[in-house]
Amino acid sequence: MDATDVPRERYRTVAGREILFDSEGFLWQAEDWSEDVAEQLAAEAGMAGLSFTQWKVIRFLRDFYFENGRSPLNRKIVEGVGMSLLELERLFPDGIKYGARRLAGLPNPKKCM
Amino acid sequence: MKKVELNVNGIPHQVIAGSDLTLLDFLRDTLHLTGAKQSCDKKGQCGACTVIVDGKAVRSCLARVAKLDGAEVVTVEGLGTPANPHLVQHAFVLSGAIQCGFCTPGMIMAAKALLDRNPDPTVEEIKHALRRNLCRCTGYAKIIDAVKLAGRFLRGETTPDEIRPDPDGPKTGVSHPRPSAMLKACGVAQFTADIVIPGALELAGVRSPHAHALIRSIDTSAAEQMPGVVGVLTAKDVKGTNRLKYIVADRPILCEDKVRYIGDPVAAVAALTRDQAIAAAGAVKVDYELLPVLDTPEKAIAEGAVQVHADRPNACFVQPLLKGDADRAFAESAVVVEARFVTQLNHQAPLEPEPCAAYLEGDGDDAQLVVIGRSINIHKHLQMLQEGTGWENMRYEEAYSGGQFGIKLDITSEGMAAVAALHFRRPVRYIPSLVEAMQMTSKRHPFYMDVKLGADAQGRLTAYRNHFLADSGAYFSNSDVTTQRALHMLSGSYHIPNIDAHDTVVYTNNPWTSAARGAGPPQVNFALESAMDMLARKLGIDPLEFRVLNLLSPGQSKATGHVVEEWPVLGLCEAIRPHYERARREAETHGNEVLRRGVGLGTGSFGIGSAGDQATVAVELDPDDGVTIYGAVADPGEGNDSMLTQIAADMLELPLDRVRLVTRDTDHTAASGPAAASRLTYMAGGALVNAIEQVKSAMVEAGVTPAQAGTTTYEQMRQAGVKTRFVGVRKTGYAGPLDPKTGQGPSFESQVHAVQLAEVEVNTETGAVRVVKMTTAVDAGVVINPLNLVGQLEGGMDMGVGYSLREQYVPGQTKDWASFKFPTMGTAFDMEVVIRETPRKYGARGSVGVGEMTMVPTAPAVMNAIEDAVGVRITDLPATPEKIKTALVSGG
Repeated sequence: MDATDVPRERYRTVAGREILFDSEGFLWQAEDWSEDVAEQLAAEAGMAGLSFTQWKVIRFLRDFYFENGRSPLNRKIVEGVGMSLLELERLFPDGIKYGARRLAGLPNPKKCM
Repeated sequence: MKKVELNVNGIPHQVIAGSDLTLLDFLRDTLHLTGAKQSCDKKGQCGACTVIVDGKAVRSCLARVAKLDGAEVVTVEGLGTPANPHLVQHAFVLSGAIQCGFCTPGMIMAAKALLDRNPDPTVEEIKHALRRNLCRCTGYAKIIDAVKLAGRFLRGETTPDEIRPDPDGPKTGVSHPRPSAMLKACGVAQFTADIVIPGALELAGVRSPHAHALIRSIDTSAAEQMPGVVGVLTAKDVKGTNRLKYIVADRPILCEDKVRYIGDPVAAVAALTRDQAIAAAGAVKVDYELLPVLDTPEKAIAEGAVQVHADRPNACFVQPLLKGDADRAFAESAVVVEARFVTQLNHQAPLEPEPCAAYLEGDGDDAQLVVIGRSINIHKHLQMLQEGTGWENMRYEEAYSGGQFGIKLDITSEGMAAVAALHFRRPVRYIPSLVEAMQMTSKRHPFYMDVKLGADAQGRLTAYRNHFLADSGAYFSNSDVTTQRALHMLSGSYHIPNIDAHDTVVYTNNPWTSAARGAGPPQVNFALESAMDMLARKLGIDPLEFRVLNLLSPGQSKATGHVVEEWPVLGLCEAIRPHYERARREAETHGNEVLRRGVGLGTGSFGIGSAGDQATVAVELDPDDGVTIYGAVADPGEGNDSMLTQIAADMLELPLDRVRLVTRDTDHTAASGPAAASRLTYMAGGALVNAIEQVKSAMVEAGVTPAQAGTTTYEQMRQAGVKTRFVGVRKTGYAGPLDPKTGQGPSFESQVHAVQLAEVEVNTETGAVRVVKMTTAVDAGVVINPLNLVGQLEGGMDMGVGYSLREQYVPGQTKDWASFKFPTMGTAFDMEVVIRETPRKYGARGSVGVGEMTMVPTAPAVMNAIEDAVGVRITDLPATPEKIKTALVSGG
């Protein structure tokens, strides 16, 4: 048993770059994201590429994040992209948080460090 | 019942009162005068409910309305309003006597009663008059100052206008009153329990009386039949993960099959009134099967010990730290000292119990759950609650909070309140008793540290070993963070080339532990700074010279191998020197055979801006050319509202009252991270600076000249098509975890430093220690608000002395402020603060935070002073009279 038994942030190579991820697999910093990163994360999640509609959701998430400094609640996403929650859940097999938000590179809220 | 006629704030009331109706409940629940606060379960221990009855200060929780026929009652609301405050309220605001503000109305009323009969009281008379009023934030010094200043106002010697800093003068480096201070002084700042929610259900928790047991069954039938009960919740009623996951998903909102410490929540009762809920909670029958109790880390890691959590080992986190070659260095050292140091389980002890309210805004599945509570990390806690309850559409609102000190880094009452609001589809309030609040909250980690420190013949440190067990209690919370912070700051202020440390976090059946002011460094610094004095004594070197000899220098590395760029501690050693020499002289001439004076030192170098930290703050120009700052920058008393306001006003050359703050809800703020780790001035302040720099660039782009700034800015920018909202970001320059095998890696970007001097008097017959004076020399970079800075230092020293000498949380025994040994006016001592301002390269306009460092050097300074006085080395906190007496009898 060692320190790695507790979830912790770690670096890994994604789309040719060393990127820091948190213990849940979210980017540590939103600025580390690129379209290539999103595509590789999608591939790792078993998705066969990202569709126009999926990109639309990802871009909305990133625009909201950089405008407001936080991730949107689901109702804001629904309003912003004009889709129902059910449609969004279908669009991202891992759901809105672990699917869409993670692929969009939006970090989790920071804890004490 | 008895009919009573009394006047409250000049308004006549007729009350038909039962014999048990307290004045406090009448004021709060019937008249909605919520200035008087409830903290101590109406035992008369805290004074937060003090009002004036017929000219005398009275604890309203002890006064029965039925006995007040004809009484004249004055509450803080009757004294003044923010628009027209009383001179005593002015004095508290202008003296910096208000931090969290929870004790403030009671303090003000006690002060008013004193000054009415004695307009020029001595310090001793002030201490006597306010002896029943507790404060956790200030260390009482500023409160005494406030009463003295109020006396001057009342005697006509000066006026608030003469004292108040010129609002049109410099905006930083000046003690402008905190934006929230007058609201708190007038009792109109709304703490959670003050918020009126007509028809809300009231909750009470059913908590385990056992430290470790299986839950065989829960019988709620009798409780459900009791008057006013609407329902009883158990784990099966929680729709989400039922886990409050800070880092590890191990802490249930309501326990399913097992309880792991005294106070673990098993069920929640919702009733029409709080008394009904509490009564019914007592009728919930839980059948427990007792398990072996692991009450120390040693027992928990012993071979064959039962696991606290089935899916995780009791030794749940391990982090070695290896720098250089400690074994070789010890072998070559001329002098070595060794000892085991132990720190106690302790309560952070904010005065306000942990209240929460929750309700649904809107209807059906689209309703938004609003949780109002005591969080200092609202976006993180929102996420935890979303997952734990299974309800995503949620908003967290931070009310005014009655103290923090790390206890609000993790969630407590919010989980149960959120589940109840969702289950019953009705608004709920969860206003725990003090004993329940103490049971539900995190505590400070006890550390068990095996320490060895070596030096060469010239007195230079050679090697350090600290292998410690940290008691995480029943749940993990942020134990990895706390103990890694201890490793980051393990070598304190010093250059130690060889270090062998080992951090093991252990689950036990003690209360769960988490952040507590300093969180890790106070524990290890107690060991290091004690060992420093032991080594200095062995070497025959003066403790101050020994410290100076071993200070870290820029270009050298801390324990984690992180090379520092700045290390302005030498100046602090020189700043403390005249005080140290004066104290030494006085110690030689004071005292007698029974009372012995001693002098002790401790240093503290506290990391600010951890690797990978990030904060975001948005700034928006308003149509009146003021600005609104949007950031989750909680202010449970430290003065973050001052920090944001004064920086923004200074940079934009705006009047202070044209800087507005939106900091308290998740729907409108940027996620700025927690009000923890002394990070907000540095990180959120840095993000604010970044946002304002963008504002100023945009103003240039729009052609706004400096002379026009603040007058026509907004309109000109709109006409120029330039945006008026800007998101500022502050990131530290390094990121990434420590190496799991060596503990080497990036560390804090900056530091706040202090050297503290303790002067104590030890009674050799009783073992009792009286702190005569504490002096702190501090360097926190550029000072934004001197009174706020000094207030943090004084409060931290007081807390540090309590930690050193008295305070301890004993599960099942510590139930109120008396059994906790809360510091009082009676234990208050003289304090002095010496400020140095070395601008920090990466600070928010040169500033760093100071809230935690302030108690990091205190315990070792006090222990070193005790040894200086009577030759006894106390290595396990707190240094109670019994321990000292025993050590004296056994010859130290």
